[in-house]
Amino acid sequence: MTEYTLIGTRMPRVDSRAKVMGKARYTADLKLPGMLVGKILRSPHAHARILSIDTSEALALPGVKAVVTGADTEGVKWGVFAYTRDQQFIQTEKVRYIGDEVAGVAAVDEKTALAALDLIHVEYEELPAVFDLMSAMTTDAEPIHAEFPNNINIHVNIDTGSVDENFANAYYIREDTFTAPEESYFHGEPYAVAARFDHDDCLEIWMPNGGPHMKSKPLSNAFKIPLHKIKVRKITIGGAFGGRSEICPADFICALLAKKTGHPVKIVFTREENTIGTRQGHAMITTHKTGVDKEGRVLARETTCYMDGGAYSSTGPIATSVPFLSMEQAYRMGSVRYNGYRIYTNKPIRGMIRVHGRGFACGLDTQLDMIAEHLGIDPVEMRLRNSRQPGEFTSTGSQVWSCAMDETIKKAAAAAGWSEKFGKLPPFHGIGIGTNSVQTGFPMGIRGGSQSFIKFNEDGEATVMSGVVDNGQGNENMLVQIAAEELGLLPEDIHLVSADTETTSSDPGSYSQVSTFVGGQAVKNAAANCRKKLFDVAAKILKTDPETLTAKNRMIYVTDDPQKSVSIKKTVRVALLNFTSVNAEGGYWPKVDMKREWVSNPYGQMCEAFSFGTTIIEVKVDPDTGRVTVLNAVACQDVGKALNPLVLEGQFEGSVAMGGQGGMLTEYHDWREGRCLNPTMLEYKVPLACDMPEIIDIIVESVDPRGPYGAKEAGMSIAMSAAQAYAGAVSNAIGVYMDSFPLTPDKIVAAIREKRQAGK
Amino acid sequence: MRLPQFNYHSPDTLEEALALLDEHRDQAGVLAGGTDLLVRMKHRLAVPKVLVSLKHLDSLAYINEGSGMLCIGAKTPIIDVIRSDRVRQQTPALVQACERIGAVSIQHYRGTIGGNILQDNRCIHYNQSQFHRSGRQPCHKDGGKICYARDESDRCNSTCQSDGATALMALDAHLILNSTRGERRVALDTFYTTDGIHPFDMQPDELLTRIELPVVQGAVSAYERLSYRSAIDYPIVCAGVRLVPEPDDAECIKSSRIVVGAMGRSPLFMAKVSQSLVGVAFDDTAAFGKAGKDAMNAAAAFAAHNAGATLEYRQSMVEKMVEKSLSQAAAQVSARKAR
Amino acid sequence: METIEITLTVNGKERTLAVSPNDTLLEVVRDYLDLTGSKEGCGEGVCGSCTVLMDGHPVRACLTLALEADGSAVTTVEGLAEGETLSPLQQSFIDHGAVQCGFCTPGMLMSATALLDENPSPDRQKVRQALSGNICRCTGYAKIVDAVEHAARPEPGCPDCHARDTGGNHD
Repeated sequence: MTEYTLIGTRMPRVDSRAKVMGKARYTADLKLPGMLVGKILRSPHAHARILSIDTSEALALPGVKAVVTGADTEGVKWGVFAYTRDQQFIQTEKVRYIGDEVAGVAAVDEKTALAALDLIHVEYEELPAVFDLMSAMTTDAEPIHAEFPNNINIHVNIDTGSVDENFANAYYIREDTFTAPEESYFHGEPYAVAARFDHDDCLEIWMPNGGPHMKSKPLSNAFKIPLHKIKVRKITIGGAFGGRSEICPADFICALLAKKTGHPVKIVFTREENTIGTRQGHAMITTHKTGVDKEGRVLARETTCYMDGGAYSSTGPIATSVPFLSMEQAYRMGSVRYNGYRIYTNKPIRGMIRVHGRGFACGLDTQLDMIAEHLGIDPVEMRLRNSRQPGEFTSTGSQVWSCAMDETIKKAAAAAGWSEKFGKLPPFHGIGIGTNSVQTGFPMGIRGGSQSFIKFNEDGEATVMSGVVDNGQGNENMLVQIAAEELGLLPEDIHLVSADTETTSSDPGSYSQVSTFVGGQAVKNAAANCRKKLFDVAAKILKTDPETLTAKNRMIYVTDDPQKSVSIKKTVRVALLNFTSVNAEGGYWPKVDMKREWVSNPYGQMCEAFSFGTTIIEVKVDPDTGRVTVLNAVACQDVGKALNPLVLEGQFEGSVAMGGQGGMLTEYHDWREGRCLNPTMLEYKVPLACDMPEIIDIIVESVDPRGPYGAKEAGMSIAMSAAQAYAGAVSNAIGVYMDSFPLTPDKIVAAIREKRQAGK
Repeated sequence: MRLPQFNYHSPDTLEEALALLDEHRDQAGVLAGGTDLLVRMKHRLAVPKVLVSLKHLDSLAYINEGSGMLCIGAKTPIIDVIRSDRVRQQTPALVQACERIGAVSIQHYRGTIGGNILQDNRCIHYNQSQFHRSGRQPCHKDGGKICYARDESDRCNSTCQSDGATALMALDAHLILNSTRGERRVALDTFYTTDGIHPFDMQPDELLTRIELPVVQGAVSAYERLSYRSAIDYPIVCAGVRLVPEPDDAECIKSSRIVVGAMGRSPLFMAKVSQSLVGVAFDDTAAFGKAGKDAMNAAAAFAAHNAGATLEYRQSMVEKMVEKSLSQAAAQVSARKAR
Repeated sequence: METIEITLTVNGKERTLAVSPNDTLLEVVRDYLDLTGSKEGCGEGVCGSCTVLMDGHPVRACLTLALEADGSAVTTVEGLAEGETLSPLQQSFIDHGAVQCGFCTPGMLMSATALLDENPSPDRQKVRQALSGNICRCTGYAKIVDAVEHAARPEPGCPDCHARDTGGNHD
C-alpha cells in the first residue's frame, strides 16, 4: 500500500479559518463603487400571455437607473441541451409559472427598486393553467410550450430486451406505485448575483455557481460577446446540492442592468425567490413492477415514472434518467424496461437535487422489502442477493470496475445490530435498510474534462490553478491536499487560484459528483508533471537519476539515502537561474462512451466510477401522533479511497440530514393553484439540531483503479440510501409498507388507523 | 427584506407610552420583542405609522406573587418565565408552553410573554410575502372578501397559534390592560372577539401590562403541542389543561379547565368537556380519553386549513393533545403523592 | 424620514451612527459598519444566520431594530477572535470539521458562544437545544455539536480534538 503524507489524513479544511472569522465574502457581501440594487419583476400568474409592458412610470421614478424587459434582449433561449432550449431569461410572450421573470430594475437603493417594480404595468391575458402532471398530459388547454404537445417535455426509454420473457419465468411478481411531491434545496445562502462591465467591455460577474464555466458559456451566447469577455469570478458559495449548476435568469438580468446603467448591479434573492425562482426537486409518480425467482433474485423489472418538471426543461433529460440509473447501478436485474416522462406544468422549474428521485428509490427498496417478506427472506439478505458486484456491467452497459457494495451492507448491518433487531423490536419500533449507487460524474453531451496549471514561486511555494469550484463540500481543500501531496509541500505552501473563468481552464463543474475524480485528477496530473520537472533539476544538483528521488516536507531527497537532499525552494531557484521551467499543466478527461446520449442512445459507459452506499436507520414511532424519533443512524459508503475522512464524515452526516431526516420525514412543498405555500424557512421544514440522531459513519475503501488515489464520490449514495432506510424503518415500525413520501405524521397515523380497522 | 418606514418612540414611562397610544391609536404598533410584529411589517401585513417601543419600560418585566395571584409583567422575556421556579411550581403548563415557543435564540431573549399572547392570528394563506399575495384576490384579513383556508367562507378563518395564550387560558389567567382612560381587568377566555381579522377585544389605545394567574391550592397543569419539528415552529394543534383536586380527597378532580389551541380564531376553552371531569378520579384514563374525543368533536367546528399539515390530521390530534395533557397533569398529582 | 443617532459598542469599539427607524441591527452591522460576517438567510428570524450577541444574549439581528440596540454592547462573529488568535470555539469548529459552506457558521458560533458563556461544559443534548434555532443545511449538525461540546473540554477519544497539536492547523 502506498504511503501518503496528507492523503487519507483528517486534515482540517483550509477554507475554514476565513469562515469562522466572518471574513469569507459571499456574493451578497460584495460592495463595489457606485453599485446599484437590482430587483426582478416576477409573474404573479401561473400561465398568461403578456399583452403589454409599460415601464415609463417606473423609469420616471427618481433613483431608478434602468428598467429592462425581454425587448432589451437578443431573444436567445436557454436550454442545457440543443433540443431543450425553451427558456428566455426575460419572458416576452408568455409567463409559465408564478415567479417567471418579466422585467428587471436597477435603482440607487432597495426601497426605490421595489417601488419601481410596482410601477411597471404589465397587461396579462390569463390562460388556463395546469398543476397536476397527469392531467397536464391529457388537457385540451393550450400547451405550456407550443413545441411540446401534450406537455411531454422528455421521454426516456430504456429496454434491455427479454423483459416479458423473464416476467413469464418469474416465481413472484409485484407491481406497486409510489409518489412523492417536490422538495427544495434551502441552501444556507439565498441566491445573489453581482455584475459589472469593465473598461474593456468585459463582464465581471459573481454568483453562487456549480461551475463557473457552466455560467460563462450561456452568458456569452445571450450577450453575443466572446467567451473571454465573460469573467465569472470566484466567490464563497453557501451550498449548492445540485441547485446551482445552471445559468439563472437573474445572472443575465443583473448583467444586462449593469450594461445598461454603466454601474455595478447586485441582485439578492429573498428566501422565497430562492425557493421558487431557482430550481426544485421533481415531484414523481413511479410504478415498479418486479419479477423474482424463488431466491428473490430480480429477473425482470419494468418501471414507469412520471416527473413533474415545472415550466421549463432545465436538466430534463438528465433528471429523467438519474433516478433509474442509480438503481440500475445498485442492483442487478436480469432485464429491465424503463419509461421516464418529464411533464411540463405551470409550476416552478425542477432540476437536479441531492436526493434525486426519492419516491423512485424509496419505492424500489420498499418493494424489495415486500418481496423479501413474501419469500421469507431477511431484507439484508435480499439486498446481498441482488447487489452489484465488481467487474459487472450495469443494465445499460457501464462497466463497474470497483464496487464494495456487499461490504457496505455487511458492515452497516453489523454496526446497527441488524440481526439482533430486525423482526425482534417491540411494536412501533423499527429498523430499515437502504442501498444505493451514484455516478461519479457524467460528461455526456454538455461538458468534459478539467485542466490545471501549476507554477512555482521563487520562495518554493506553488500556485495551483483549477476551474473546480467549492460549494461548501470541501473541494478547495481537496485540491490543496492533492497538490501538496504530489509536490512534497505543506498545505500552507499551496496558493489556490480557482473557479475563475479568466484565470482557470474549463472544468465540468462541481456537480454530479465529478470534482475529485476529474478536477482533482487534473491537479494530480499537473502536480506530477511539475514534480517531474523539479526532479530533473534536483537530480542534477544531487548528481543522481530523477527516478531515485522523493519529494516530501518541502525537500527532495534520494529515496534510499534521505541524507542526500535539496530543498524545493533551492531547486526552484536553480531552475529559474538556468531558465528551466518547473511549471506544468495536467488534465483529465473521463473515459466514457461519448456516443451515449440521454434520450437517443442511453447505452454504453456513462461514467468511470460508481459509489455504493448503505444506510440503516432505527426509529420509534408515537402511534398516537405519528411523530417519528430516530434512535440510530449508520451510514456506510464505498468511497473508493477516503482522501480526508473528516470531510467525508461531514458529507455522510449532512446526507443523512437532507436525504433521510428532512427528505423522508418533513420536507415537501404545499401548493394552491401554482402558488407555493411554504417557500420560507419557517414553513418548509429543514431538519434542526434538536431532532437529528447521532450518526455512525463507516468508510469503506474499494480503491478504484481509475480514481485519484482510488477515490470516487463521497456522500451522495448516503443521501439516497438514507431516504430509503428512513422509509424502511418507519414501514417496519408501523407494520405498513408506505407508498407516499415523505412520511409525515398525518400519513403515519392514517396508515396505523387503517391497519387497525382492517384487523378488526 | 426591508421594513417599511415609521416613526419611532421609546417612552420612558408607562404614562408617556399610554399617551402615545392615545394619540396615534390604530396608526400605532407596540414593539416589545418584535418577533411577530416586525415579520408582519416586512411582509407589509402591518404597516404602522408609529412604533411605540417598550424598550425603557423595565417596570413591566417582573414575576411576583401576592394576594393569591401570580403576576407576570407583560414585558417579561420568555426566558425569565422559563427560568422562574415560582412559575414552574405554580403553573407548570405555562413553563411547558414557553419552552416550546420558537427556539432559544429567536424568541427566548427578545420575545416577551405579552407579545406571545398578542401575536396576531396566523394563516398559511395570509402570512405570505407581498409577492405571494399579488395576482390573486386578497383574503378577508388582507382587506378582501375571500377565504383561502375555507372555501366560500364569508369570514376570516385565521387561527391563534400562541402557545402562551393556550396555556394561560387553561390557567384561568386575567389580563390587565391600561390606557389613559384607566385600567381594566379582563379574563383571558373573554378577551377574544371570534373575528379572525381583529382577534382581540382590545382598543387601539390600550396596552397589555400584566398577566395575573390565580394561585390555586394543589392545582396541576400541563401543556402539549404538535409541530413537525421540535423547535422554531408554531403549533399546528395544542392543548393546555389545569386540574384542581378536591381539598379533602386528592384522588378526585374538583374542577378542570381544558383549552385547545391552534384550531380556532382564539384558544378554545372547552367548558362542557371541562365540566365533565368534575368528580372524576385522577387515574381514570378512560375519562381522559373521552374528554379528548369530546374536545376533538367540539373543536371540529372551528377547523380550517390555515396551518401546515392536513386538516384531518390536525383535527384528529386534538383528541391526543387533550388526552396527553390530562394524563401529564394527573401524573403530577401522583408524583406529588409519591414524594 | 429623519435619522436618529445611536451609540453601540460593537466588538468592544464604541460607534456612534445615524440610523433610520426602519434599519435593523443586521443592516447596520452589514451596511454601515461593513461587518458582513453576520448573514441574512431568511430575513424573518428563523434560520439564525444573523444571530449576534446583544449584551451577551443571542438575538436575531434581522428582527432587532437598530434603535432598540441603542446603548447595547453588540458582538458579531468578527469580534470573537482577538486579533489573529481564534477563540477556542472557533478553533474547535475548524478542527472538528464543523464548517462546510460556512453560511450558517457565524450564527452558529454566536449561539454557541452564548451557551458556553453560561454553561462551559454542556452535554450534547444541551448543545443541540441551544443550536435548535440555527439551521445548517450542510453538516447534519453532528460535527457542530462535537465542536461545541469539545471546545471547552477536549475529549480524550476524539480524533479531532488534538488536531491543533499535530500540525493539522495552519495559522
